[in-house]
Amino acid sequence: DHHERKRKKESREVHERSHKARKMIGLKAKLYHKQRHAEKIQMKKTIKMHEQRKSKQKDDDKTPEGAVPAYLLDREGQSRAKVLSNMIKQKRKEKAGKWEVPLPKVRAQGETEVLKVIRTGKRQKKAWKRMVTKVCFVGDGFTRKPPKYERFIRPMGLRFKKAHVTHPELKATFCLPILGVKKNPSSSLYTTLGVITKGTVIEVNVSELGLVTQGGKVIWGKYAQVTNNPENDGCINAVLLV
Amino acid sequence: MALYNFKKIMVVPTAKDFIDITLSKTQRKTPTVIHKHYQIHRIRHFYMRKVKFTQQNYHDRLSQILTDFPKLDDVHPFYADLMNVLYDKDHFKLALGQINIAKNLIDNVAKDYVRLMKYGDSLYRCKQLKRAALGRMCTILKRQKQSLEYLEQVRQHLSRLPTIDPNTRTLLLCGYPNVGKSSFINKVTRADVEVQPYAFTTKSLFVGHMDYKYLRWQVVDTPGILDHPLEERNTIEMQAITALAHLRAAVLYVMDVSEQCGHALSQQLELFNNIRPLFANKPLIVMANKCDVRKISELSEENQKIFVDLIAEGITVIETSSLTDEGVMQVKAEACDRLLAHRVDTKMKTKKVHDVLNRLHLAVPTKRDQKERPPFIPEGALLRRKAMEMDAPKRKLERDLEVELGDDYTLDLQKYWDLMNPEEKQDKIPEVWEGHNIADYIDPEIMTDLEQEEELREKAGEYVSEEESEDEEMQEIRQLASQIREKRKLKILTSKEKDTQGPRMPRTAKKVERATLEKEMADLGLDMTDKDDSHYALRSRSLVRKRKREVSAPPTSRTRSQSASRPPRDQSGVRDAKVVPSDTKIAPKRCVHWTLSYFSQMLKKVKTMMKSSQKEMNRQGKKGESDRHVFDVKPKHLHAGKRKSGSTSRR
Repeated sequence: DHHERKRKKESREVHERSHKARKMIGLKAKLYHKQRHAEKIQMKKTIKMHEQRKSKQKDDDKTPEGAVPAYLLDREGQSRAKVLSNMIKQKRKEKAGKWEVPLPKVRAQGETEVLKVIRTGKRQKKAWKRMVTKVCFVGDGFTRKPPKYERFIRPMGLRFKKAHVTHPELKATFCLPILGVKKNPSSSLYTTLGVITKGTVIEVNVSELGLVTQGGKVIWGKYAQVTNNPENDGCINAVLLV
Repeated sequence: MALYNFKKIMVVPTAKDFIDITLSKTQRKTPTVIHKHYQIHRIRHFYMRKVKFTQQNYHDRLSQILTDFPKLDDVHPFYADLMNVLYDKDHFKLALGQINIAKNLIDNVAKDYVRLMKYGDSLYRCKQLKRAALGRMCTILKRQKQSLEYLEQVRQHLSRLPTIDPNTRTLLLCGYPNVGKSSFINKVTRADVEVQPYAFTTKSLFVGHMDYKYLRWQVVDTPGILDHPLEERNTIEMQAITALAHLRAAVLYVMDVSEQCGHALSQQLELFNNIRPLFANKPLIVMANKCDVRKISELSEENQKIFVDLIAEGITVIETSSLTDEGVMQVKAEACDRLLAHRVDTKMKTKKVHDVLNRLHLAVPTKRDQKERPPFIPEGALLRRKAMEMDAPKRKLERDLEVELGDDYTLDLQKYWDLMNPEEKQDKIPEVWEGHNIADYIDPEIMTDLEQEEELREKAGEYVSEEESEDEEMQEIRQLASQIREKRKLKILTSKEKDTQGPRMPRTAKKVERATLEKEMADLGLDMTDKDDSHYALRSRSLVRKRKREVSAPPTSRTRSQSASRPPRDQSGVRDAKVVPSDTKIAPKRCVHWTLSYFSQMLKKVKTMMKSSQKEMNRQGKKGESDRHVFDVKPKHLHAGKRKSGSTSRR
């Protein structure tokens, strides 16, 4: 009687599901409802798709390009002055656009945020040492200054060597080693220290990708801009600047 | 040995379920309350604990999966091969490898993020780190979806495999499809394998167990094998080949003499020769099955030659038929004996035998004279042993006799009696013989006791019967006695008929009609006329008062002839219907009706009020108005556990 049982169980499932959906409370209910909402959207889409076959739709191909309704028809053509001012604006943008980056504006990080004061001395009164609280990059041949004299402490736990870089056109992400920090938008001090925050431009080793210049030379370093807060996520996500 | 553990492998959850379970477990089993103003080390510890808890759970569960599944290198080669045939060794190993990698990755992730969290200086930062850590672990697991699904299917199939012990005594049946292997195993063991006329009815290995010579034997039924080279064999045939290759068993090659399976004898012989190498080192018997349809002697010359050749090579050929049971026991005995001998031989060749042999010593008593003293075996035992071996037909059962005679059958146990003179078996046993009561002689001692007792009785004068003259008194008494007896029997009958299920009302709570009461008492002889003034004849106050309307006395102080004439309590509070306002000018007759209905209405209302006020108390199980006892002062479900959503009265 397996088939009979199965049939009955399936028909009972509908009632049980509705009962559950009504009675659930708390976090479980939130998760369940979210899931169910997604399911319902999918169901509605498929139903709509099936119905599209039956209903008539407007055919977009029939309207020719550039066709404009009557009330939008121009009274006169563009004047020369307008053309000139447009040209100047374009040129200005191009000059400024040497550094067209995905994140043009970024929140500036203050010193108190990035550097934490470390007290030293017999009576813990001296406060000239600073510890970096954000993720940073130190080069390969990095050796610390003698601990007594180092002013900026970059803890080992916060040193990262690799970044997850996304190619914007290919939409693929690669884990590439960092070559160095090019510029940190908040301050030049951070750049020299190698602090990586959101919006920092870093240089990554792209030899993995196998890019080649027109002259036939292999490209092995490219710039990328960091798009997340690495100290909150534990990893550096960046977008390649092509 | 991983033999029986195939059934104990834990369920492998799907990726989604796995993630849900672990995350909800983390949410339930770790503390959930944290505030911004707590000390930073406390905040860090709180979130680190969550990350580590999740990692621990994943690690445990994945390790358990890895250890539960059998390692193909560790199990018996028979099982390793069988699993390879069924589930593909490479795929299996890959899936387990992926799980292992996932486990290591999760561990690494947790380690990294716990290290990072030490530098978290705010609640927000620690929280984000924890979120990132858990998210990463779950993504790793989401990628293992395929492996987990595959492993779950393997687990389900594995638990349904028959438990074949590769080391005990086994008989293996093989041959073409439809030759009668499954019928043979059904006959010999208690297994119930499907037998159908189409080929490949048996699609996997089946095991049956039987007993022979006080030992347990396994009989393994295989799916049929067709004749093609090894590479072209499909999964079903490969299972049979695996069993043949790895189990050290006696092989019973089944051939269909009548060719009902659809393959000629020559084809069957071909197959036999092809798989001959698998039979090396195994005792082999060829079963010529379905001999009830056609015997070997009825076959053509060339086919008979096949069998003659086989016998010439030294292979035992036995004619059998699963339908008529012919030769089945013979095959069984032969195969078992040869396998036992083979096993003993193999054991003798190993080194371990010497340890045992050194300790065994057969002690023979020394001869003191030349007289021959052979061991004595009674003839009955010898006959019985022969019967056991020959499997002689049993004696005719009573049941068979019953079936034969049908309606004429009577159970006659007297024919089994063991008497000196066997012709007397059917004689009827007398009750008295030569003046003696035979029943007395059943116990030889009883006679003396009885005689003694009889003497005593005679002395007491019990046997002197008197002529009794019954006077009227006695007769009356007798009559009364008979009446009483009759009445008693009637009462017993009525009480038996009564339905006594459920709680019974006590007799005094039931209302007895006046008429029944008077009738019963009259039956018993009491004088029940003129009983209107008696206590039981009094009706309710008002109805009685109906007749004595002229007497208008105050309600409370009523002078009555009987003391028990007060109105019952449930009516005592009802407003007196008799009290009619003096200035009403209603006709007396109508007045009566009006007050009566008004009274009954009032009474009804009073009663409903009483009942509804008691309803709530009864529902709560209170004894009365003043009962303030609370059964459960601190219910556990309201006072234990976390304060999740819900109100105070329900959590």
